[in-house]
Formats: sequence, C-alpha cells, structure tokens
Amino acid sequence: TITGNFANVIHGLNANHLTDQVIQRSKRMILDTLGVGLLGTGTEVCHKVTQYSKIYSSDVSSTIWGHLDFRLPPLYAAFVNGVAVHSMDFDDTWHPATHPSGAVLPAVIALSEAFPQKKKTSGLDLLLAFNVGIEVQGRLLRFSSEARNIPKRFHPPTVVGTMGSAAACAKLLALDRLKCKNALAIAASYAGAPLANAATQTKPLHVGNAAKHGLEAACLASQGLQGNKQILDMESGIGAFYTDYNPQTLPTLQSYPWLLDQQDVAIKRFPAHLGTHWVADAACSVRRKLVESSDNFLPLDKIEKVILKVPEVKYVNRPSPTSEHEARHSFQFVACSALLDGSMSVQSFASANVHRPALRELLHKTQLEHPPDNTPSFESLYCEVSITLRDGSTISDRCDTFYGHWRKPLKKEDLEKKFQSNASSVLPAEAIEGILESVYNLENIEDCSVL
Amino acid sequence: PEETVTSSFASFIQAVQPEHLSKTVRHRSKRMILDSIGVGLVGSTTHVFDIALQYCRELYCSVAVSSVYGKPGVKLSPTLAAFTNGVATHSMDFDDTWHPATHPSGAVLPAILAASQMLPPNTKPNGMDFLLAFNVGLEVQGRLMHFSTEAQDIPKRFHPPSVVGTMGSAAATAKLLSLSMAQCTHALGIAASLAGAPMANAATQAKPLHIGNAARLGFEAALLAARGMEANPLILDEIPGCSGFSAFYSVYQPKPLSTPSDHHEFLLEKQDIAFKRFPAHLGMHWVVDAALSVRNLLMNYAGSFSPSLIRTIVLKIPVSKYINRPFPSSEHQARHSFQFNACAALLDGEVGLSSFTESSIHRQELRELLDKVVVEHPEDNAANFDKMYGEVALLLHSGDVLTGKCDTFYGHWRKPLSKESLLKKFRSNASHVLPEEKIETIIAMVDNLENLSDSSQL
Repeated sequence: TITGNFANVIHGLNANHLTDQVIQRSKRMILDTLGVGLLGTGTEVCHKVTQYSKIYSSDVSSTIWGHLDFRLPPLYAAFVNGVAVHSMDFDDTWHPATHPSGAVLPAVIALSEAFPQKKKTSGLDLLLAFNVGIEVQGRLLRFSSEARNIPKRFHPPTVVGTMGSAAACAKLLALDRLKCKNALAIAASYAGAPLANAATQTKPLHVGNAAKHGLEAACLASQGLQGNKQILDMESGIGAFYTDYNPQTLPTLQSYPWLLDQQDVAIKRFPAHLGTHWVADAACSVRRKLVESSDNFLPLDKIEKVILKVPEVKYVNRPSPTSEHEARHSFQFVACSALLDGSMSVQSFASANVHRPALRELLHKTQLEHPPDNTPSFESLYCEVSITLRDGSTISDRCDTFYGHWRKPLKKEDLEKKFQSNASSVLPAEAIEGILESVYNLENIEDCSVL
Repeated sequence: PEETVTSSFASFIQAVQPEHLSKTVRHRSKRMILDSIGVGLVGSTTHVFDIALQYCRELYCSVAVSSVYGKPGVKLSPTLAAFTNGVATHSMDFDDTWHPATHPSGAVLPAILAASQMLPPNTKPNGMDFLLAFNVGLEVQGRLMHFSTEAQDIPKRFHPPSVVGTMGSAAATAKLLSLSMAQCTHALGIAASLAGAPMANAATQAKPLHIGNAARLGFEAALLAARGMEANPLILDEIPGCSGFSAFYSVYQPKPLSTPSDHHEFLLEKQDIAFKRFPAHLGMHWVVDAALSVRNLLMNYAGSFSPSLIRTIVLKIPVSKYINRPFPSSEHQARHSFQFNACAALLDGEVGLSSFTESSIHRQELRELLDKVVVEHPEDNAANFDKMYGEVALLLHSGDVLTGKCDTFYGHWRKPLSKESLLKKFRSNASHVLPEEKIETIIAMVDNLENLSDSSQL
C-alpha cells in the first residue's frame, strides 16, 4: 500500500541519504523559521496562546523560542512556537503551496528538548527528521492537481502540515514501520481547517496546531494506538480533503530524490501573503520610475488611478483592510504601502501605518484587474502595477519573479539580515550569533538542544 | 449590520435561556446524559482508553481539576479530561446516534462536565444551566447538519462527530462559560479550524479519538475565544472563493437560526435519538433484530438452533463500505460488520458486550456461519438511518426459506428504549467500575438535573 510505503520510507531514510543541496536549503529554512518565530513571540496572537497554554505545565517540558523564563509541555511548546512562526505570515512558502517549516520545526525542537538526559538528539538527527517532515508534505501535495493552485477550501498547512509533523516526529522518535504508519493514520484525523480563517487572528493557529497535532499523533502511535493502515490510499482517508486524489508510492531509498533538491522554497522579505510580494516588487519599481521623472519626489496628488493586474485570489483581494491580519492579505494594501514608502517591512503593518490617511487615499484610487493569463499559482503568477497620472500619462512595471522566490532566492547575506533583524526583537547579539553558528554547523553538532 | 448565519448562531448560543427548554427536550436530553455517562464508564475499561489516559498523564499534570470516568482519584486538566472521557464514550461505539447522522452526546457532555469542574466554587453552574448548555451543544450540531443534504445519509468522507461535534462542543462550552455574543462567534470560528477527520479511521482503534477530540478541541476553541482570540465572523456563511465551514461538504446551504423568542423549537423536540442496545455501529442493530426474529423461526421449525441446517445466509442491507466486512479480525472491525453481527445474533440469541471479545470473534462456529453469508444491496434499501432496513434470510438445505426483517429496531427513535431498558443498560455499564450506591446516586441526580444546585457534583 502507499501508506505502508510511506512508513517504510520514513523509517528507512537516514543521514546518508541527505544531499548537500538538501542540507544547505533546509538549513536556510531552519534559520529563517527560527528568526520569524522569535519575532512572532511578540505578537498579540502569540501572547494569547501562551496565556492559554500556561494552564498546562508539567515535569517534561520544552522552551518557547526566545523565552527562557518558563517552560511548557512539549505539545504546547510546539503549539505556541508554531503560532509564533505563522503569526505574521512571514514564514516560508513552497510549491505546491504550503508553509512547510512552521508545521515541522517547532514540533521536532520541542520533542528533542523533551528527551531524557541520556538520549540526546544530535544536530544531524534533527536535520534528518526535519527533512522527512518536509518531504512527506511535498509528496502528499503532489497527489492532487488542486494543490498546484492557491487554495480555496482547506488551508494546506493544516492538511499536509499535520502529516509532515507526524512523520518528522515519528522519525525523531525512531518508531518502527508499523508505528510510523499509525502515526500517519492518527494525524489524518486531526488534519484540515477551512480557508476562511485565513486573514484572521486564528490563521496562525493552523500552523501551531499542525505542529502540535502531528506531534501528538506520533506520541499516541508510540504508545501503541492504531489507525487505518491505508490512510493515504483511501479516498475516505487523506483523500477526503481533495476532490481529485491520486496517491503514488514514494521512490526507493537508493539515492533517494528529495523534493527539496528539485524545488526550493520561497522566503519572504516582509510579513504578508506570498502573492503580495510580486505586487511589492512591481510597485517599488514603478515608484522609482515615477520619482525619477518628477524631480525626485513622489507626486501623490497627481496620481489619478492605480491599477493592479493580479491573479484572481479572493482571500487576498481586500480594497480596504482594517486589521493587520487583513492588511497582510491585501494586494491593494501592499501596493499602496510600497508606493508610499518605497519598500515593505515589518513596520508597514503597524496599526498606525495601516490607518494612515495618505494610504487610505491611495487605496481609494486602487483597482484590481484579473488578466486571464495570470493563473493563481505561485509558480506562474505575475503582477503588473500601472499608475495613471492626472495629465493622462501612465507609468507601469511588471514583476514575474520577486526577490526571495525560489527562482531568485535570497542571498546568504540577506537571509542573515532578515534573521538578525527578527531575532533582535527578543535576543541579545551573542545569542543571535550563537544560533547562526549552530544552524550553519548543524550536521556536526552533537547535542542539538543547544539550539 | 446585516444578519449573517454565523451571527444568528452566536446570538442563539448567547441568548437562549432555560425557559426555552420544553418538557420533551428536557426529558430526552436527560436520557441522553444518563446513557452517555454509562457508556463512558464502561468505556473506561477499554485498551484505547488506557492509551489515551496514559498519554495525558505522562505529558501533563498541573491544574488537574477535572475527573475521568471510572478512575476516582485521577484528575486531569479540563481539556484533557474532556478528551479522555470523550474517547471513553466512543471507545466501544456504544453511544447515542441521531438523525441526520452523528454521535451528539459524546462530543458535548465530557466538555461541559470538565468545564463545570473548572469554574471557581461561587460560580458553579447549576443543573439547569448545565442542561441548557448540553442542549445548546446538541441543537447547534443538528442545525449544522441540516445545511447539507449529504448529511442525511450515512457518511462517506468526513466523520460527522469530528465536523459538527467540535462545533457543538464549542457552542456548549461557550454557553456554560457565559461568553458574550462576539466571543461565541469566535468560538465557532476557531472550532471550525479544528474540525474534520476523514472516515477511513472508522473501524480502527483511532475512531474514538474523533469524539475525544471533538469534545476537547471545541472546548479549547471556547477557551481561546474567552481569552480574546478572534476568527472569521462569517465562518458558517457562504464565502465565495474561500471556504469556511462549507469546506466539509460538497453541497452547502446555510440558514440562520431564529433568535430564541418565546417559541424556539429545539430539534430534539421533533427528532429523538437512538440508543444502542449493544456496542456496535448503529446499522448493525437492524440486522441483529432481523437475525433474532429469523432465529426464532428456525427454532420453531426445527426444535432448536442447528447451524448445520443452514445452507446460505442472505443479508439484505444498504450500501456502505465501512460496515461491510465479511471476516473482521479485530473488535473494532467486528463492531462495524453486518455479517459478524448477524451471525453472532444467530449463534447466541443475543448480542452484548462479550460478543466482541477476541475469543468470541474468532470462534470456530462463528467463522463457519460467516462462510455461509452472502450480501445483497436491494435498491430500496437506502443508506440512511431513517429509512434503512435489515433482512436476514436463511436458505436451508431442505429448500425452505425462513426470513426475518427489521424496519425499526428497538432503541431507534421510532421505537425508543423504555425507561427500564435504559436504566438496565446504564446499570450494567456502570457496574463495571462503580459500586451500587454511586450508580443509584448518579441516576437520581440526572433525573432531577434541573433542580441540582451544583452540576459539578455530577
């Protein structure tokens, strides 16, 4: 069965199978995710879930990233850290679409911290488990053609993310084949959240819960709980989340071809939905042109209309967002914000900035168009920003591949810069340097709990 | 502001009062509470329950205020107690079933029991509050199921308790905790993101987790909402291009709930529940009653029950893959097998707890009977708990044919269990873990629930 095959692979993959490129890419993902999570611990949504999770405390415990003042049971640490990672929509995105790292990293880190003294996990174990979690997600996403486009029904991290977390934890716990199967089966019963909560405060919980529930599934499997051994094969299994579902077996373990080798992730430069990154790059470039041609200042009152040519994605189409969560899911907001400021950053979404009169004015002048050739897929979409001035002239530019996309990955310096900027919101400089070093050298670390 | 479906639900949850509960609704819901507790108590003796409890104890301890069925002295944190007790309730598939199909009580009762223990002494809900919250949880489940015609039939994709049960638990807990209307709205929104488990895990050891998680996660959603977490306020409405609760159905037509004025009619008033007489999937109950009646015919015919007289056993049942199992190999599979239940009834003259033990499942005589079974799916036998029937025909070697048919089994909502039968079931279940006086106390308490001053005593 396919389910059995997945269990075999999860069980059989070992460190020797990791290629250099996979190691390199996954370490970048780990670094970015940690930074984003550290930053995220300062958000309101994260405060709420932390308060909530403090209800539970116990002897076995794990840390909240960046906060050493208290500990939580591993499940809740995974939950809180997962929420932190997705709290600002700043975490990585893959193709087919999901946020792979946030569902996996918090779970494996929490789990590794919870092991008894004598059984420490090495950096390489962590790296392997992490990659197993990513790989399983990627493979599952390829079982349905629906997954190639921006989602409409279920939020992908809650479907494949939960499964990925279960696989990664099963690997870290070194479960046997049968238990790996059961971990997947149990995880399926926790998977799936509707998309409607995207652009609300609840969305970050999707990633938090994926991490937490995957971990729980692996723990329950470890204790002997059994589920349906054909969970990946049946339409009434994971197939329930898709209208067309065609599962396939994984390649053999001999020189295993990791998906991360063939397809990199996109890393965000500012905390908003991935679709807005094309808009930002196009808008910034149009602004430059406009400023050049107008004696180096931005003639706001001369702007008559702003037209954005974007794919049709309903949940990112918000002409007038009122909260930070909505602003992060608004083509219009990001375009106007980029036009006003020349760049996008974490600050762009602060409440004061979201409600600026100048921004609101510009929003009124903004419209969307959906050219039929602009497909809602992160692999192929584009954005064109075009400004019409009062005198009738227009200035426009187009972005096919934003900087940070897998076709144009962030350079090492820029990735580090993002991490440092994020982490500095909660950690001192030496701790930041320490993490950077640890992640770069992950395969050689003996005890990954130093992380 | 325009009235949305979601806000009508939130209004209802927040504004409904005990006075709105009719006599019938109170009576029926108390029967459900009693049955659910009994089933949970006997469920605390199962293996799956042990795993769940072990898991919770190992990982958590603090704020351990909520009790666990059948384990006096053990306390867990509230949501974990809800989880564990929910697992207990569904561990043997012995809990109640409604129409449209779901197991309503198991998703709600454990959550509000745990929640009532969690509240500080001077704000403990009384019996009436408790009964009201329970009914809110049921009502919300029922109303949600009416949003899709798919829900009328035996499920194929998502296991209903994991979809509507989570929402019901959130609603009931929100009611018990007296959340504001906005908070009720968000509780529903957050719960939707925690709902939905695929059918494939039915008939496996993981199925009871569906109810355990429905209770626990709905409870969590309400707690998070109470702390100010916000979700999509249109979660139950139609949102073009971006699915809310509609994600779980291919056909979805939401309708607002009427505000509870003087005449809100609870669904439980019009549509009663089915209680199971033995721990197996509801569909089994039809074939068992049919099998028992044809067994009597055979005994009259031949003087005693002799399987050797039978050439073939024909079962006429509706089409439903997950309960059609010719040779079940585990107790979970046996509880979901038309063939097994029919043969057990024929062989033993009754089906009960002990029919599903390992040794009983693998008996030689039973296997021999199973070999003779043939299944047919008559077109008029709809896969729907309101309309289906079960027919068992014995084709004898002599050429004679004896038939038994059951349209409505005893325990179904059209032929509800009498008070004596319900109490018998409860006593039998509870006696596995509780002494007699405790059993009688619980019976008395539930019977008199409206007048109880502190429901956490339950």
